[in-house]
Amino acid sequence: MITQEIQEQIESYVAEKMPAAEKASFEKMMQQDKHLAEAVRQHQVMVNSFATFSRRTKLKKQFDSFHKEWKEESKEQPFIYTYGVRAFWRNHMTTVAVAASVAVITVFSTIFMTNYLRSLEHQQVSNYAELKKENNHIKKRLSDISASLQQDVTTAADYAASATGFMISPNGYIVTNRHVVSGADEVYVESTNYENIRQRYKAKVIHKDQKLDLALLKISDSTFKPLAYMPYALNTRETDLGESVYTLAYPREDIVYGDGAISAHTGNDGDTSKYQISVPVNPGNSGAPLLDAKGNLVGIVTGKNPNEDGAAFAIKSKHLFTLVQEIPADSLLEPLTLPRKNYMHYLRRPDQIKKLQGLVFNVKVYKK
Amino acid sequence: MNKVHFQSEEELVMAIRQGDERALGIVYKTYFPMILHFITHNTGTEQEAKDIYQEAMMIFYENMHDPDFELSCKVKTYVYSVSRRLWLKKLTQRNKYVGKIDDFESFIPFVKDEVDPEEQDAQFKAMNEALSQLGEPCRTILEDFFINDFSMQQITDKMGYTNTDNAKNQKYKCLMRLKKIFFSKYQI
Repeated sequence: MITQEIQEQIESYVAEKMPAAEKASFEKMMQQDKHLAEAVRQHQVMVNSFATFSRRTKLKKQFDSFHKEWKEESKEQPFIYTYGVRAFWRNHMTTVAVAASVAVITVFSTIFMTNYLRSLEHQQVSNYAELKKENNHIKKRLSDISASLQQDVTTAADYAASATGFMISPNGYIVTNRHVVSGADEVYVESTNYENIRQRYKAKVIHKDQKLDLALLKISDSTFKPLAYMPYALNTRETDLGESVYTLAYPREDIVYGDGAISAHTGNDGDTSKYQISVPVNPGNSGAPLLDAKGNLVGIVTGKNPNEDGAAFAIKSKHLFTLVQEIPADSLLEPLTLPRKNYMHYLRRPDQIKKLQGLVFNVKVYKK
Repeated sequence: MNKVHFQSEEELVMAIRQGDERALGIVYKTYFPMILHFITHNTGTEQEAKDIYQEAMMIFYENMHDPDFELSCKVKTYVYSVSRRLWLKKLTQRNKYVGKIDDFESFIPFVKDEVDPEEQDAQFKAMNEALSQLGEPCRTILEDFFINDFSMQQITDKMGYTNTDNAKNQKYKCLMRLKKIFFSKYQI
């Protein structure tokens, strides 16, 4: 054990305060006594770290007081902030500049684009009328009439809109315009064939295409019996200018025939997906088939320019073909094959119409 | 503290080497904004900047009092370089270092650590705990004896012991206790 006496010797040896004679004999003792040597070494380590510790604590205190002084001085003259701002600007100027220009471009382009699009929309609305027959004004007129006549006739027409559609496959697929069935809760299709037999089926909207303004319906009525074949064929080639065309539609409760010609290869505002046609059309003609002289389907009537006489538009039939290709197979209830063989090209027009009449439907849209 | 101006950097360094507190204070206050700026622009906070800076200043101070140490660059560059190195080390420890540091000053890259901080740290922590466990009056007695170089007579008078033997006895007990606690925490 290290007694107090030995401890004091160790201390004076480590502190180098030991007289020379005593030091020599102490070092000799250390060489002989391992425990003593170890105790000396330990004492040395401890005194050193004790010294470091107290020096550092003192210094830390001093630094803290410097820090406090600095804080007070920098409060008086806040040079640190100007330094910070300037350096911040120097380091981030490029980033800020890029971000700012992006913001400016975004803001102005958004303002410009929205205004531009809005004006475009106005233009479209004014130059283009969809041929869906809105029933509201009819309803109003009817109620006016009924009020004046004291008769109840309103039950006859309680659908919200009506237009035309036509069958494109023997198992009951019908094409019409998207704008006809937008917002529809229920859709019914009615047709009257040349033998004056009237049919009415419930139909389901299978697919809508916003861009082409086309919709695909499927008769979902159990009373519907699939047909044997389609008499007309779908023409996927572009039809020549001046080609004589005709249409069958339901602008009113009876089917109406209209004829004319292909007047242009582009529709409203140079829309290449449409033809301009010189067929007289009225609200209710939307979704009507456009056929050429041989009875090939060349287009689907969609709208007209109210400012121009005789300028109606029809979607080119090749787009119907691509639309059908694009419909996911699992959204179709039954396979859909477009008619590719024409069975009526040798028929005269009235006979063609007799064949087609039952395939053209009055599409009635109901909204709750 | 009144503003004191030193004619040149050599004069300032000389003053610090001689233990002039004012000179150290000037260095501290002059270069802290630089480090604050550096650290806050490299994902640090003001508190972290203070800690890193004080650590760097400690190294600076200790090196200045090491007679073998030679300052081969400006004080500013040295302080910046040390702080930079310490901050990089901290970021690496936290896995926050992304391989890029925004620098605002020129610096000297250190190849090796100027001091061995691991061992120093361990010693420092062990001593801190040992002293706080030891308590008073032992701490004051040992500090007066080992650090302030008081004689046993001075300590006897200061602490109010009846004679030096009592004081010596007390100091012996204190030292033994400190040794025991210290070496239980710090293995050499």
